[in-house]
Amino acid sequence: MTTRIITMTGFAGLLAVLAALEVLGRRPGNRIPTAGQWLGYLMRRPAGRLLVLLGWLWLGWHYFAR
Amino acid sequence: MAAEDLYPSAAGRPARGIARKAAAGAVLAGYSWLAGGLAPFTTRSLLSVLLPGAVLGAIAYGRPPERIPAPATMDVAGFSYWLIAVAALFEWEASAFISGSHWWHPSLTELITPLIAPHPVRSAAICVWLLGGWALVRR
Repeated sequence: MTTRIITMTGFAGLLAVLAALEVLGRRPGNRIPTAGQWLGYLMRRPAGRLLVLLGWLWLGWHYFAR
Repeated sequence: MAAEDLYPSAAGRPARGIARKAAAGAVLAGYSWLAGGLAPFTTRSLLSVLLPGAVLGAIAYGRPPERIPAPATMDVAGFSYWLIAVAALFEWEASAFISGSHWWHPSLTELITPLIAPHPVRSAAICVWLLGGWALVRR
């Protein structure tokens, strides 16, 4: 197995874990929050909202402007 | 008895709501298509990202829509799963980036960029990004 495949498997695995957490978070009675819930929690304060929106803007710049 | 009999002013609301959503969808699709066709590393592509950022920022701070209430508390154990997974993703990305992002150890960016290179895929990705921004504004 090449290091490229190991690297790609790592990314795929971690993205699958994030997706699984979102699915688990949507099940009733689960302690795990959804991404929307914890992002909303972080954005309760203006500084948190600014940081999250800047993160979103950075994603757009990183993938679509460069 | 029909709703418009009880509330005459409400008669046109559903149709207006659908029309507004259709118009917003058309603008979103059109903008995504135009922005998806711009060459990267240009002023236009930079502006195509900064413009929705400025618009959503102005909406978020100036005239925020009705927001989905944030949870008053957060389960630390439940949140820690997210924290660990996101930190691991950043660490995996950083290790590839620091090693130079070569073919044998690519970063996530190196893997995703060719996937979103075709115009329709890039436009769809921009559309998802814009919808994500709107979802954040509503939180």
